[in-house]
Amino acid sequence: MKKAPGDEPNEALTVTPPKKWAAGVPAVAHALGYSLEETSVRRTGETLLTMNQVGGIDCPGCAWADPSPGNRHRNEYCENGAKHINDEATSRRIGADFFREHTVSELGRRSDKWLNQQGRLTEPMVKRPGSDSYQPISWHDAFDLLASELRSLDSPDEAVFYTSGRASNEAAFALQLFARALGTNNLPDCSNMCHESSGFALHETLGTGKGTVSLDDLHHADLIFVVGQNPGTNHPRQLSALEEAKRNGARIIAVNPLPEAGLLRFKNPQKPSGVIGKGTQIADRFLHIRNGGDLALFQGINRLLLEAEDARPGEVLARDFIESDTKGFEEFAEHVRTIGWDDILAATGLAREEIEQVRDEVLGSRRVIVCWAMGITQHKHAVPTIREIVNFLLLRGNIGRAGTGACPVRGHSNVQGDRTMGIWEQMPDDFLDALQTEFGFDPPRAHGLDSVNSIRAMREGRIKFFLALAGNFVRAAPDSAITEDAMRNCRLTAHISTKLNRSHTVCGETALILPTLGRTEVDIQADGEQFVTVENSMSEVHTSQGRLQPASPLLLSEISILCRLARRTLDGRGTDIPWEQFEADYGAIRDHISRIVPGLHDFNRRVTRPGGIQLPNAVNEGVYHNDVGKALFTANDFAMLRAPEGYLLLQTLRSHDQWNTVPYTSNDRYRGIHGSRRVVLVNPEDVAALGLSEGQHVDLVSVWGDDPERRAEGFRVVSYPTTRGCAAAYYPETNVLVPLDSVADKSNQPTSKAIVVRLEPVASPATASPR
Amino acid sequence: MYSVEETIEVAVPVRAAYNQWTQFKSFPRFMTVVKKVEQIRPALLSWTLAVGPLRREFQAEIVEQEPDSHLTWQSLERHFVHRGEVSFRPTATGGTTVTVRIEVDSPGATALRGGLPKLVGRVVQRELGHFKAYIEGLGAESGAWRGTIRGGRVRPEEPRPHRSRVAHWPVG
Repeated sequence: MKKAPGDEPNEALTVTPPKKWAAGVPAVAHALGYSLEETSVRRTGETLLTMNQVGGIDCPGCAWADPSPGNRHRNEYCENGAKHINDEATSRRIGADFFREHTVSELGRRSDKWLNQQGRLTEPMVKRPGSDSYQPISWHDAFDLLASELRSLDSPDEAVFYTSGRASNEAAFALQLFARALGTNNLPDCSNMCHESSGFALHETLGTGKGTVSLDDLHHADLIFVVGQNPGTNHPRQLSALEEAKRNGARIIAVNPLPEAGLLRFKNPQKPSGVIGKGTQIADRFLHIRNGGDLALFQGINRLLLEAEDARPGEVLARDFIESDTKGFEEFAEHVRTIGWDDILAATGLAREEIEQVRDEVLGSRRVIVCWAMGITQHKHAVPTIREIVNFLLLRGNIGRAGTGACPVRGHSNVQGDRTMGIWEQMPDDFLDALQTEFGFDPPRAHGLDSVNSIRAMREGRIKFFLALAGNFVRAAPDSAITEDAMRNCRLTAHISTKLNRSHTVCGETALILPTLGRTEVDIQADGEQFVTVENSMSEVHTSQGRLQPASPLLLSEISILCRLARRTLDGRGTDIPWEQFEADYGAIRDHISRIVPGLHDFNRRVTRPGGIQLPNAVNEGVYHNDVGKALFTANDFAMLRAPEGYLLLQTLRSHDQWNTVPYTSNDRYRGIHGSRRVVLVNPEDVAALGLSEGQHVDLVSVWGDDPERRAEGFRVVSYPTTRGCAAAYYPETNVLVPLDSVADKSNQPTSKAIVVRLEPVASPATASPR
Repeated sequence: MYSVEETIEVAVPVRAAYNQWTQFKSFPRFMTVVKKVEQIRPALLSWTLAVGPLRREFQAEIVEQEPDSHLTWQSLERHFVHRGEVSFRPTATGGTTVTVRIEVDSPGATALRGGLPKLVGRVVQRELGHFKAYIEGLGAESGAWRGTIRGGRVRPEEPRPHRSRVAHWPVG
């Protein structure tokens, strides 16, 4: 067993110039280096060579689609996926001895990195009321404790069940079924914090909750926008698709406040030219936009397209398509013509000439795709921004044809599938009716709580019971101090987890750690070896099967935990859900799913075919499942984010050496940051204008209209080519600055990409806690 | 650029001939050059062709499709640019005239102007012969897709076609 680091070394910050290309040989070296630190050569080989292969493990790292079965590389993974999978396959273990040595409050002072490095959880643990330590508990007693707590609630709506995107389709289905059989729709999930805005905007305008493109579309687009997205770090395999598109002649426009390395050039380590050559230039055009300026940008482009049509009637817009397939064009057009150029240029920070050049690129392209991620969705006006992107696509008929469409790029591997399985607090009646028909109970109809509303309810004492299916809720959620207080306000908190994280140290009166199998591990149940299924960002549903010996014989699978908990809790409540059969044979769960979730008929047979099931998107069938039955143009109020004089607009982001809330090291090599994560990236002109200096120690203080001061202590100023007035710093360290009530309109998604902050110089280096 | 046009008469009604033609995935059963067809969705196809040792994969968009009349396609590759049309016309005897017209516009096309069109024409004529033998042998089509495509976009033939029945609630 490998030993975890005992201490947290003090590393010194060094800053080097940002890199101008991503991947290449260093990516391979870093991936292998980290993997071998965590586990053996044999286990590294077993995980990496079966990763994203037919019949192998689906990488939990991201939701990017796999190429069709005959076209996959032998090494079909990226640096970050390799690190992530071997982070789970680690040979390090923690059990009762570890928790005897470390109290909960001591663990609460440790960094996210250190907690993760300790290794895999091996046995169930409980923290009793009044105690500061976790102690071992048998599974039997753990389920008794959970079930008796759930049964003692005054209402099932005093319970919340959180899902992270790691959960498989089968586990997600079992969880929502259990929650609804218990009587609540309180099903927050991690997508409440990442792409909720995309779902709302796409559903309203196109009648679909999902992206409309496949890898084949990307490969054959003429023009691809990559907006508010950093593929080099967050979806590196997307770079292979962009490289292929470029090989076919596509042009790429990147829109971002930071000139990220992966947007500029990609050296594909799978190809000789990527190892010894210059690689592929990714972005032909880079728009260095202000945080949140994307709505104004697309309004500007749309206005220019309308004016181009005025000049050359019938040549610019897809008039037939607009006539036959859309509604609302006239209102939209009238509105967007009123958006003034001064406003557009102020909001975007771009020159009009740059936007006109984009128009010309668009006019020269028959097939256009827009990809986006959290740089778009985590703003107050995120839903209008995505609606405006849809307007842009509709204008020239870039929807429903090969090589065109909308491509929200999701982060967590099964975040899309979990929602398909019914993990949503607002599921429509037809889904609930199908549950009722299938299982004979009446699911609750009142909408439940999403993530932000769950935190509010916990704060107010309305929630007594919190169960998380995977994830690290307190570090993923906004307003860390308030979220932590909310968690501590619960009577019982429980986490189904593979590794230790900060959420285990922020406990309700009673807290449970329920250790579970990882994706990489063999899952044997009464009916034999099982596989699970997942759905990627491009609606491909396929299997995932682990190969490694489980980290401990005491681990239960997520599905086992949920089925046993449901049996214990619901026993005698008159539902006839076959939980025992579900646990023994996951195929039994899929049989029920096939009768409830539209599009997954004949699930068991179809999903085992190579490549799995490609779920169609109704938009590509000429069908719009929204209120108007047509693609909807919308008139979106102009919005501009502005920080007062002396303040900056802060976006929170990941480092390259980080997976979601888990930093692997303190380095971010593409951005040239080494040895510390407590840095704030500021435009050099802003550094000067604010009277600061490079390397200066500052506290970040966010400004919001409510009482508590939100302060992140002990940061260093780094001059960085971000846009003027806009700063960036890593999450989860800066989640403390994101006010719980600062959310996107309609989607209720935290606005983590635009927090108004001031940088307060501190006289001497702060002695902030490591986290 | 060069073009070829080949025609064949098959002794089944237009509807049967057309319907069979929509079953792209079955083409490798009776055509010798077509090794594999994947239908990514109704208007997007991936083809694998092989002649001797030469193998070519390409993707094609169906641009227009009108049941019992015609369909047109265009390749999406930059290196094997071609367009095509297949049309179905009833004959006086109740059979169908199937006409395939292909226009190739790839870099090698000009250099090989002499031999290539003839070769492509022969291949198309032979494959049409295979199609004739297959559909006449079956006597009826093995399946059908009756949708319409206009400008590369599917026009549903009913308000909620089968393939549109998928989860459509918002995904976060």
